[in-house]
Amino acid sequence: MPVLKFALTADAAGQVHNILTCLGKFSDSVFIEGRHDRLVLSALNPSRSGYASFTLDKSSFFSDYEFASHRGRVDGRFTCQIYNKALSSVFKSRLADTRGGDTALERCEITVEEEPYKVTCRFIVKLICRHGVTKTYKLTYESIEVMQALFNKSAAHNVFQISAKMLKEYSDYFAPKAEQLDMYAENGRVTFTSFTEKIMDGKEILKQPLHTAVSVDVKDFEEYRAEEKAHIIISVKDFKAIVAHAESLGVALRAQYSHPNRPLQFSYTRGGMKCEFTLMTTGSSQDSAAPRLTEAVEWRADTRSRSAPSTRSESRSTEMPRSLQNQPIASRNTLRQRGLGSVTRATPHNSDPEADSLFVPLAEDDWRWEPLEEQEPEGDTLGWDASEEQVSHPRYTVL
Amino acid sequence: MRFRASIKDVNTFSKLAASLSSLGHVAWVRLTNDDVRFTIIPEQGTQVWAVLSIDNLFEEYTIQSAAENNTINLEAPLAPLQRALKSALSSISTSIRLTKKDNIPLLSLTITTTSSYTPAPAIPPRGTSSATQSQARPSDSTTFFDDDNAAGTSFDLSSHHRPPRDTLITQDIPVRVLTASSVAGLHEPRCREPDVHILLPPLLQLKAVSDRFTKLADAAKSSSASALSSSGGTTSTTFARRRGGGGGGGGASTQAAGLSSNNQRGPRLEMLANMHGGLRLSLRTDALRIASEWSELANPDLDPAAVEGAEEGVARHPSTVMRGRVPDAEGEEGWARVRIDGRDWGRVLSVGRLGGRVIACFCHELALILYVYLESEQEGGEDSVLTYYVQSYSA
Repeated sequence: MPVLKFALTADAAGQVHNILTCLGKFSDSVFIEGRHDRLVLSALNPSRSGYASFTLDKSSFFSDYEFASHRGRVDGRFTCQIYNKALSSVFKSRLADTRGGDTALERCEITVEEEPYKVTCRFIVKLICRHGVTKTYKLTYESIEVMQALFNKSAAHNVFQISAKMLKEYSDYFAPKAEQLDMYAENGRVTFTSFTEKIMDGKEILKQPLHTAVSVDVKDFEEYRAEEKAHIIISVKDFKAIVAHAESLGVALRAQYSHPNRPLQFSYTRGGMKCEFTLMTTGSSQDSAAPRLTEAVEWRADTRSRSAPSTRSESRSTEMPRSLQNQPIASRNTLRQRGLGSVTRATPHNSDPEADSLFVPLAEDDWRWEPLEEQEPEGDTLGWDASEEQVSHPRYTVL
Repeated sequence: MRFRASIKDVNTFSKLAASLSSLGHVAWVRLTNDDVRFTIIPEQGTQVWAVLSIDNLFEEYTIQSAAENNTINLEAPLAPLQRALKSALSSISTSIRLTKKDNIPLLSLTITTTSSYTPAPAIPPRGTSSATQSQARPSDSTTFFDDDNAAGTSFDLSSHHRPPRDTLITQDIPVRVLTASSVAGLHEPRCREPDVHILLPPLLQLKAVSDRFTKLADAAKSSSASALSSSGGTTSTTFARRRGGGGGGGGASTQAAGLSSNNQRGPRLEMLANMHGGLRLSLRTDALRIASEWSELANPDLDPAAVEGAEEGVARHPSTVMRGRVPDAEGEEGWARVRIDGRDWGRVLSVGRLGGRVIACFCHELALILYVYLESEQEGGEDSVLTYYVQSYSA
């Protein structure tokens, strides 16, 4: 009996292709997590500084969705990992294109068979096309635990929202090889600067990519309330991947963050699809320990009242690696040495080099970190989560 | 050392940078009181010496330098310059200046644009059905995604009526400042008086034909190369026969050697022109011979004032001698011939996007010189001239 079985319309299958393209910019493999009410496709980049997730709603994204709570999984989740290229070659870009010929896709059915005691795990994609043509793809997957980045929205008091189309326009000005993106606000203008940290001299200087700054009136944002005079630096590549996907949906992109050197989250929602990207930032602010909220710019074009931020994932996210908290404010000159979010210093508690990156493995569930530093604002934390239900016993068996 | 100007014609400047960047990575830029020069001297291939009148590109041109005639010599990377100019294509105003940041000299472009974005009711270009689904079942989608970002489905109507606001873009291009002595040794190539000068047909047309020939030559080459490698020994005789019979294995081995050296260069095209309005472009490979011919093109008259020896000089000029000969059909008598690299030639012809008049000067078996004239918009303004020196290869 399949553990997971769902069906997609041709359009939704096209959306899945776009999602896979975007996830492919983060990692070679895609994490799949099935629950009774939703499917999550996500990816974590190799340096663990960027995490992308697409949450697809059971009823509004899928035309059919069945999830059989698995015996081995007490928490009622199914998780696996698939090679992105293998999966996206099934969901080709022109799949939904009816002009693509007589055998255009009509419906896509996916079944996931999980038989722990048999040799293969199967991920079966059936493309039901016109004129009775059915294409069946059988993929193997690796059954692994899936990690999620936790992001504390309540602590992320800096918020801006801007149409993805505008951001796309700005990112088109950046040099293709530029590495980093600095976002900075001052005097009612926000400046997006793409730059590359490379020490070059002599003839090599001419190979340095363009240094581009795009300065935008804060009123061009749909909403802007964020601390001024703070440099928030992320990777241009991640930014471009996110903006390209958001632009294809015609949505506005919302960014939330607390301080430089803390994670930032981009998010948007469209048609049964919730897209969230958690990126580690570097940078500096005038006074990051005690942000002067009085200096914050506020702008909100949208007068519609918004519901309070979801508290769903925040409830348990109270721990974070100490070393991240203690991260010195990186000056722009030290960025290169530090790398974007590639925090590799060991924590006082653990010699695992990965332990103080954005993510920690699920098995470390009950791991308690040192209390937060005093000068750090309460509740601004970064953590991890593997399930939304509070469970105290081991949740999975490694196959 | 100061240089600051406002760019009058971003479109032309951008096209110029684009066509130059296909021939070299870096240009020597010389700014003076009188003109702006771009020079590209690649290790191999065509040299470009472009002289642009200031009012063709700039307004409010300010230059100040300790060197004679306020000269500033720079070495600038062309691809970033082109990219920077491209971002200014829809600008309201664009200015350029020489500056320094962290001790690195830069050409900095400051571009003012109005955001072209007008928020529209959010309808996704793709995947509408899933969106429709969610609208059809609003309860599902709202209960599931109960959080803060509903921007995809709701847009504040007031945003339609926002006044346009300026977006400022700065593009910093790293450059190197060259000393007068380091460019003192650079001279425009000298060439003997040309045998034929002729007004070229539209470059787009010429480029289409040339590129087709280059592709055909590549195809002919790769098909014979694959035949050689795929069937080993038996092909050697085929090859020898195709080359006009004879020596079997020996013929094949010379051919194979020829192929490997061919791989390092583009296919050779032959260009011929006469003083009777004829231009011929041809390609010869082992497998095919192909030629395109233009006729009734103009052979402009020489200006006696610009020729050494005035009227007498014109009468003795090689092109006048050539005009006296009747061109034959074989392309020998009365024709001047050059052999050029097809790929390099294709890149040269990309200057066609600037849309100037182009006069080609043929020095038989030696060189081809193209003069691209860009007319000044202003009445009586100085024309800009781009000069391309294309070397002829020996047969």
